[in-house]
Amino acid sequence: MRSGPTNFMKKGRVIDWIMERLVAFCGVAIGLMVVGMFAYLALESRYAFDRKFPYGFRIAAQPVSAPRSEAVEMDPNASILTSHMDGMDGLDDKESIPMPTLAELQGVATLATGSLVEGDLKNIDPLMLARDNWQSWHDAGGQRKFLLFAFATPEHQDKSFVLRWEPDAAFDADLSVHNLRLKLIKAPVGIDAPAVDIDLRARPRGEIELPVFIARSDDERTQGYVFELESTPTGISAIGATLRGFFKTEWAPTTQYPRYGLMPLLLSTVIITILAILFAIGPALLTALYLSEFAPHRLREWLKPIIELLASIPTVVLGYFGLMIVAPGLMATVGKAFGMESGRSLLTAAVVMAVLIIPTIASIAEDGLRNIPRSLRDGAEALGLTSTESIRRVILPAARPALYAALLLGFARAIGETMIVWILSGGTPAMPTGVDALVASTRGIADTVGIEMANVEFEQPHYGHLFLIGLVLFAITIVCNLLGQRLARRAAWRS
Amino acid sequence: MVAVASPVKHAVRAEDVNLYYGTKHALKGVNFAAPSRQVTAMIGPSGCGKSSFLRCLNRMNDRIPGAKVTGKFEVAGMDPYAKNADLMRLRRAVGMLFQKPNPFPSSVFENIALAPSLHYGIKGSTLEGMVEETLKRAALWDEVKDHLRRSALELSGGQQQRLCLARMLAVEPEILLMDEPCSALDPISTGKIEDLISELSKDYTVLIVTHNLQQAHRVSSQLAFFMLGELVEMGDTEAVFESAQSEVTRDYLSGRFG
Repeated sequence: MRSGPTNFMKKGRVIDWIMERLVAFCGVAIGLMVVGMFAYLALESRYAFDRKFPYGFRIAAQPVSAPRSEAVEMDPNASILTSHMDGMDGLDDKESIPMPTLAELQGVATLATGSLVEGDLKNIDPLMLARDNWQSWHDAGGQRKFLLFAFATPEHQDKSFVLRWEPDAAFDADLSVHNLRLKLIKAPVGIDAPAVDIDLRARPRGEIELPVFIARSDDERTQGYVFELESTPTGISAIGATLRGFFKTEWAPTTQYPRYGLMPLLLSTVIITILAILFAIGPALLTALYLSEFAPHRLREWLKPIIELLASIPTVVLGYFGLMIVAPGLMATVGKAFGMESGRSLLTAAVVMAVLIIPTIASIAEDGLRNIPRSLRDGAEALGLTSTESIRRVILPAARPALYAALLLGFARAIGETMIVWILSGGTPAMPTGVDALVASTRGIADTVGIEMANVEFEQPHYGHLFLIGLVLFAITIVCNLLGQRLARRAAWRS
Repeated sequence: MVAVASPVKHAVRAEDVNLYYGTKHALKGVNFAAPSRQVTAMIGPSGCGKSSFLRCLNRMNDRIPGAKVTGKFEVAGMDPYAKNADLMRLRRAVGMLFQKPNPFPSSVFENIALAPSLHYGIKGSTLEGMVEETLKRAALWDEVKDHLRRSALELSGGQQQRLCLARMLAVEPEILLMDEPCSALDPISTGKIEDLISELSKDYTVLIVTHNLQQAHRVSSQLAFFMLGELVEMGDTEAVFESAQSEVTRDYLSGRFG
């Protein structure tokens, strides 16, 4: 019985079987991880679309006799707005105060408006005015109505007062899903008030004069003018409005009316990457050519691993190298000519990024060049071509897909790079327009996620938008990598 | 072929050639002469040095680390290993066809036109005429005339090899070195190449390395038998096949080893 060899075979088969499954499992696991990460980013991005849209307009009453410079603060989100009434501002978050009594107003103000965003007219008693956190304005499309009361105290002298409205400076009605109308819904009894119905999108700022209503007692405070800011949908969905905002050119996520425009970040990232490729392409290809065509065998054996080692320098180290050497260097040279304000700029980031990707590009390009079969070189040589002619006319054209792959993979490496841009770009999310932008402070996608994710409020639109820009970046790198890999595979020579 | 009553002119002459790859002695004192405008076949078992010898003639061994050649050479009137040897001129005079077809990854036209345009500055319609004529000589014109701009890699293996042959002819060499040119081809393609070789021997000196004894018999008029780095026997093909001097040659030709 020849059991020995058979057992050996069986054992080998078992190991084969296990290995096959293990390899397949790892392949599937890695694939799932990529898909899962993508799905996770996409899932968390939903918070970007889960949004409220503000009123964004300020409305106030103002005595006709008061100078314009003393115009009241017009803010529909602040719940109380009274002319010449100090001490009523500056309430804390969510704090509620009752509408000031006539006695309280005496000597302080003669004309008062108060806004209320909760409840309706019938059950306002006592009249509590709420003031929310200024950052979380009221949802213009919500269930709550925005009501505005206007009355004057008996001390008021004028026959009429001015109702003024204007949008907040930072408010962009284009990004809202609401059309707002300012309507007079209840005129005081016995006063011949004109109908007020103003489309705020069509007429975003203006004023009208109305006859004054004098509240003789505290009960009459709500008997005066009552206006409503009525919101009707524009037909644009929250998703549409969010996407519209996403492709705008301003990234200012922590302002009163946050802007989540991807464009400045995307453009900065792409420009830094393209510049880095442009800076890297010469040195990297020359290195690859030298290694594959000219370097003595021994030297190549040493140089190749060293160059690949360069690719594994932690990028934070490169960042500080940039900060200590490249930034002052650029300041001293380019900086003077172009008026650089700081060594940290788009250009600085691009230069150091080039240093980062030179080894990557050189190494992949060198592989591509060395994969050109011996037979092709022999063919060129046997025809009497000089080595320069053979490289230029035969080897480089043959290696072209591999060289493209090297550039694309370098691109993918650079575009997702966080640390270098974080440390060296200066960090201002400004739209890079014009040549000046090259030496100005800027900010890319990856570093923005890095900078802001630490301080972001969870599961809020800002948080969602950080995932959304991450998703965009991920999509770009995946596409670049897949294309690069495909090119590299096609370049692997078959003859 | 009618024998011409003139002294035999040798296109390739080599005396006492030794080739070392590092410590390996690959060719041992080879004396070789190939007459002009004839086909000389070089046969022998694998690793016998026949291909290495062929590659000495146009210095294709240069690139191999540790390769060292000694001996006297005369190839197309030049000494390849002279101090002032013009390697590029040598390789223009000595074309080479390889085991595997190795067309450049460019168009059919580009493949042929590249070297002449670089070497001789031929351009425009002259170049087009030259390409056409060269392709005709390689019996490929009819098959590719309608797609000269298509990639050479789309051609079949046999067509690719004939393209490489045309590419070699376009440099106007005197001597054609062929290193097992049919080993990667099917019998029909092989037949076409063999016909071409016979045709070309009217104008060129052809040295062909082959594993195929029948092929050597069919195409060559001179036969050189290599064995373990030595040139065992050389002479008229018919004569060697009929009555080889050396017993080793007889054994090899009769298929006793190989």
